Amino acid sequence: MKPIEKEYELFIGPNHPGATGNMSYHIWVEGDKVKKAETRVGYLHRGFEKLMEKRIWMQNVPLVCRICVPEPDVNEASYSMAVEDLMGWEIPERAKYIRTIILEMARISAHLLTVGGIAASLGIYTAAQWGVGDRDYLLDVFEQITGARVYHIYIWPGGVRWDVPKNTKELLTKVLDYLEKRMPLYEDLIIKNKVFIRRAADVGVIPKDKAIEWGVTGPNLRAAGYQLDFRKLEPYAAYDKIDFEVPYYPKLGEYEVLSDGSDIYTRTAIRMLEMQQSINIIRQALKDMPEGDVLLKHPQWFAWKVPAGYSYVRVESSKGEFGYFVVSDGGKKPVRVHVRGPSYTHGINVMETIAKGLNVADFAPTAISLDVCPPDIER
Amino acid sequence: MVDFFALGEQILVMAFLVTLGYAIGMFFNGFARKITARIHNRVGPPIYQGYIDVFKLFGKKTNISHGWIFDLAALFSIAGITLVFLFLPVAGFSMLSTDGDLFLILYLLAIPALGFALGAGASGNPNAAVGIMRALMTMLAYELPLVMVIVAMMVHYNTTSLAGIVAAQSNMHWAIFLPVFLIGAIVADMALQGMLMEKPFDIPIAPHEIATGPMVEFGGKHLGALMLYKMMGIVVETTLFVDLFLGGGVILSVAQYGWLAYVVNFLVWFGLITFVFFLALLINAVFPRFRIEQALKFYWKYDALVALLILIWIFVEVST
Repeated sequence: MKPIEKEYELFIGPNHPGATGNMSYHIWVEGDKVKKAETRVGYLHRGFEKLMEKRIWMQNVPLVCRICVPEPDVNEASYSMAVEDLMGWEIPERAKYIRTIILEMARISAHLLTVGGIAASLGIYTAAQWGVGDRDYLLDVFEQITGARVYHIYIWPGGVRWDVPKNTKELLTKVLDYLEKRMPLYEDLIIKNKVFIRRAADVGVIPKDKAIEWGVTGPNLRAAGYQLDFRKLEPYAAYDKIDFEVPYYPKLGEYEVLSDGSDIYTRTAIRMLEMQQSINIIRQALKDMPEGDVLLKHPQWFAWKVPAGYSYVRVESSKGEFGYFVVSDGGKKPVRVHVRGPSYTHGINVMETIAKGLNVADFAPTAISLDVCPPDIER
Repeated sequence: MVDFFALGEQILVMAFLVTLGYAIGMFFNGFARKITARIHNRVGPPIYQGYIDVFKLFGKKTNISHGWIFDLAALFSIAGITLVFLFLPVAGFSMLSTDGDLFLILYLLAIPALGFALGAGASGNPNAAVGIMRALMTMLAYELPLVMVIVAMMVHYNTTSLAGIVAAQSNMHWAIFLPVFLIGAIVADMALQGMLMEKPFDIPIAPHEIATGPMVEFGGKHLGALMLYKMMGIVVETTLFVDLFLGGGVILSVAQYGWLAYVVNFLVWFGLITFVFFLALLINAVFPRFRIEQALKFYWKYDALVALLILIWIFVEVST
C-alpha cells in the first residue's frame, strides 16, 4: 500500500511578506516541521557582471550600486578600491574619512531595515515602521551630501565625487543624537521583549564549528562567536585611525547572552550593537576629518585606461564580506568583474541547511535574520 | 393573540441595532488602523477607511470561486456573528436574551469561526489549511480560561443569563470592582486578545509565516463579507467583555430616566467597548506573536491556572 502523503509544499515568495525581496523559498513541510527548503532565484537577474565588461571604468560606478539596494555604498567603495589598487593610487585623507562616514551611515540604514524586518517577521510591526521612518532621516542627510537618497554614486575611484556641504557636521550630529535617543526604544520593543526572546532564542542556529566552513561572514558570523571584521583585519578608508569595538558573541554588552551559536536573537543583538558602534564611528570621523582635497586628479574620463592586472578588494558590509575581483587587460573596460556577495552563501547554502527541522512559523524570521539581499545573489 | 405591532417594533429595533453594530464595527476597523499608524509614526488612513473598504470590496466583480461552500462560508460567518450579537445585551438592552443564554453564546461564538474555517478549507490553499488549524487551536486554547471565568461569574451571580449578570451589576456594582473579578477580567482580557486575533495571538493570520492564512484565497465580495464578519466580531467580543465585567455600560436606570437612559447607556457602552478595543490595540502594537504551542502553553498553563483559582475562590465564597 502506498503511504499516505503527509507532506505539503509552501511557497515563501516571491510575493510573500516573509520573503526578503525578489526571491523565493520553496519549502516542503510535514506537520509543522520544514523537511526541505530550496532557494529559488532568477526574478531579478540583470547580469551586472557581464554588463560591466561592456562599459568603461567610470560607467560602472552608477551600475555597481544597484547590486545591493539597502546598502549600495559598499559596492561603490569596493569597486573603487579595486580600481585604485590597479591604478596604484593613494586617495586623499579627507576622502577616506568621508568614505568612512558614508559607509557607516549606510550600515546604520541597512541595519535599521534588517532589525525592523526581523521584528516584523515576528509580528512587531511597530519596530519595522519606526526603522523605515528613522532610516529616512539618514536618507535626508545622504541627499544633502550626495544629491540622492538611495543610489548615491558618490564614492568614485580616486576619492569621493565632491566635498561634503559645510553644514554636514551639524546635520549629521542632529540625526545621530536622535538615533541614539531612539535606540533604547528599539531595545525595549525588540531585544529586551520577553516574547521576542521566547520566539528568537535558539531558533535558526548556525553552529559555531560550521560557520566558517559554510562561508558565513559579517554579523551572522560574529553572532556565532568569531571576532572577524574586515574593518579591523584589513582596514580600509579611515578605519585604522578610528577607535571602535567589534561586537561579537558572547560580548553582547548589556543584552542577555542566551543561546550558544548564531540564532535569531544573537544576530539581532549584534546588529543593534553595531548600530551603536557605527554612531560612535561617525562621530569620531566627523571630529577627526582633516581639510584638503577629496578627489584625485583623473585622467580623461572616457579615454581612461587601467593598467593590466587583477585585484580583489573586500569591505565589511552590513551583511558580511562584500568583495570585488576586478581584472584589467590595460584597456578602457574591465575584462572581468566578479562580485562576492554575502547573500549567496547566506541565502542559499546556509538557509537551505538550517531550514531543515525548523518550525514553519520560524522559517521567515530565520531567513530575514540572515539578512539576505537577493540582487547580490544574482549579479 | 400575537401582538403584531409589538413584534414588528422589536424586529425594527433589532434591525436598527444590527445595522448600528456593523457601522460601529466598520468604524473600529478604521480606528484600529489609525491608532496603529500613529503608534508606528505614520499618518495612517482616514478613520472612515473601514466603510470605504467594505463598499469597495462589495462593488467588485468576483472572478474566482472555489465552489459553493466557499461562496456560502462568509455568509455563514456573518449569520453566526449577527446571531451572537442579537443574544448580547447592548447597553443593557436585551434583544433575544433568555435564561441560560450564556451557554448559548459560548456555543454560538464557535459557529462563525467554523464558517470561516469551512470557506478557507474549501479554497484548498495550504496556507489557509495551516491557518485554519492554528485558528481552531487558538480557539480551543482561549476558551478554557474564558469559560472558567464565566462559570465563576454564573456561580457568583447565581444566573446563567448574561442579561441577568448585567442586571445584577446595575447601580455601578460592576464585577470589575470586586478583586476576584478584577483578576478575572485580566484573564478574560487575555482570552479576548486571542478572540480578536490581535498579537501576541494573531497566529492564525500571521502574514510573515503563512501569508494571512485563511484569508489568502478570499477576494472581492468574499473578502468584503469576511471583513464584515471580522468587524462585527470586534463589536461582539468587546461587548461580551463589557457585559461581563463592566456592567454592560449601564449607568442609568431605564425605569427612572426613560429614553434618556437608553441614550446615555448606549454612549457609555460605546465608550467602554472602544476603550477595551483600544487596550487590545496597544497590546497588539508592542508584542511579537507567539508560536502556536507557546500560545497553548500560555492559555492552559498560566491563564487557565488563574481562572481555576478564581473558580475555586468563588465556590468557597458561595459555600461559606
